[in-house]
Amino acid sequence: MIYREAGQFKTSYLEDGQIFPIRQDRIAVALLLLIAFVVIPLAATPYFFSAILIPFLILSLAALGLNILTGYAGQLSLGTAAFMAVGAFASYNFMLRVEGMPVLLAFVLGGICAAAVGIVFGLPSLRIRGFYLAASTLATQFFVVWCLTKVPWFTNYSSSGVITAQQVEILGFTFDTPARKYLLVLSIVCLLALAAKNMVRSTVGRSWMAVRDMDVAAEVIGFRLMRTKLTAFAVSSFYCGVAGALYAYCYLGTVEPEAYNLDLSFRILFMIIIGGVGSILGSFLGAGFIVLLPILLSFIVHATGLPNQVTSNLELMVFGALIIFFLIVEPHGLARLWQIGKEKLRLWPFPH
Amino acid sequence: MSTRKIGEVILKVDNISLRFGGVKALTNISFDVREHEIRAIIGPNGAGKSSMLNVINGVYHPQEGTITFRGETRRDMDTHQAAEQGIARTFQNIALFSGMTVLDNIMTGRNLKIRSSFLEQALWIGRARREEVENRRVVEEIIDFLQLQHVRKTPVARLPYGIKKRVELARALAAEPSMLLLDEPMAGMNVEEKQDMCRFVLDTNEQFGTTIVLIEHDMGVVMDISDRVVVLDYGRKIGDGPPDVVRNDPEVIKAYLGAH
Repeated sequence: MIYREAGQFKTSYLEDGQIFPIRQDRIAVALLLLIAFVVIPLAATPYFFSAILIPFLILSLAALGLNILTGYAGQLSLGTAAFMAVGAFASYNFMLRVEGMPVLLAFVLGGICAAAVGIVFGLPSLRIRGFYLAASTLATQFFVVWCLTKVPWFTNYSSSGVITAQQVEILGFTFDTPARKYLLVLSIVCLLALAAKNMVRSTVGRSWMAVRDMDVAAEVIGFRLMRTKLTAFAVSSFYCGVAGALYAYCYLGTVEPEAYNLDLSFRILFMIIIGGVGSILGSFLGAGFIVLLPILLSFIVHATGLPNQVTSNLELMVFGALIIFFLIVEPHGLARLWQIGKEKLRLWPFPH
Repeated sequence: MSTRKIGEVILKVDNISLRFGGVKALTNISFDVREHEIRAIIGPNGAGKSSMLNVINGVYHPQEGTITFRGETRRDMDTHQAAEQGIARTFQNIALFSGMTVLDNIMTGRNLKIRSSFLEQALWIGRARREEVENRRVVEEIIDFLQLQHVRKTPVARLPYGIKKRVELARALAAEPSMLLLDEPMAGMNVEEKQDMCRFVLDTNEQFGTTIVLIEHDMGVVMDISDRVVVLDYGRKIGDGPPDVVRNDPEVIKAYLGAH
């Protein structure tokens, strides 16, 4: 009854093409942003910021990057964490070696380095696809981590390979507390998410989807396959690179190759599979599922008062069962579930 | 139909031969297409009709022969070049982008008109925004023309076959092509859908003056709407001329049409 677009008429194509065409959605998003930017910083505890919200946002951004490549452009990739590592180490080295390098610029440059690496490792996509491409992006994962471990210049000849990240300071303002880091991460994630939405609703996004759905037809109507695929690799890797830099600077506090292992790549891939392949919202839902649910489960399981060995295993079992449950209920992910729910809500309380 | 004026030769293929390994798909094919005409290519299955279209818009590269389009002679076409020069096409087995809505599918047809850069699009400013609206207006006209208003926002995968064929035509028209290659636009349709499609093809030809090359198996349709017909059999041309001539050609009757 409440959620209905009746009476909201679109009188221009711009209005019809806006990101949230239904007024109720716009109000909800504005409220969500208000809560995220104002209410949470006032209310949340440091633990909540650094253990839950910051990793959730950063991994959402990485998932968004992977979703651009896999969900929109249809190129399977297992190298997400490697691109994140490139972003983190490039940012670190820019800040280390260039005097007075602004942090935000270093993040952007880190993203651009990741994009360049993405283009190089995206070249095989011109000839191979599907699982074979996934196997070749696996090479990125091993190569990058190997390279960062073996070439001491990247880690500034640190003996342990674990470097403390520099302080994040923008225009004299230091982002040292969890709440401040959270606000920085949140702002970057919001801006990049908006940019991603703009891309997928204009020609560049359509070119990705066209190549994903039917590459011969895409070529015949004038898209250049090479350019389209490599743009997808570049943009995706840029997002992953920025996410990687934030992961090091705002979450871990250290820059180390081992943090960006294959395990992380897989976690991000699962996020988009569970959240929704080819959906921006899905990246956030998926990251929420993988990051937040285990924490929530451990609270619940521990509240039962069972012995420790039982609870930790129970937690994993319930988590696994939930993944299977959601994938059976909706193989297209949580985003599709959300969409179906909204469509039902528009008609509620009537069945049709 | 008599009002439209058939112009000069716009496309000429000369001695095209196409082989896949030892298989000769096309052997020494030559024919021409005049501006604003409807040119049909007919022949039994495997005669090389679709291969011929694929040669014209650059999906296949022939081993021998030349293609002259708008006065420019080439060894072969390149798909991008063909699209830029105004050749659009539809496919025999629908090649729509199934994950996208009808509107987005048709919008992809406008991609060569886009001038805004990637960054402008990401920031949704200036040219990107303006172009989106301009192209949307053109696309809406095509949606009107092909009567697709009711499915505008529906994902293509959910549509019935007949409508999908129409969406594919819409996507091709969105490029404002000077030449349209239609690969069996009426295959698998019922009588009513065929009539609709025929009307759309004729209207396209009349209103926009688009030159049309079509492959079709429904002889009633072909003989009715086309100006000239090429007949292929086993990759060879066995007939060429106006429908009445082709219909009575003994070789064509033997290879394809059969006795009436």
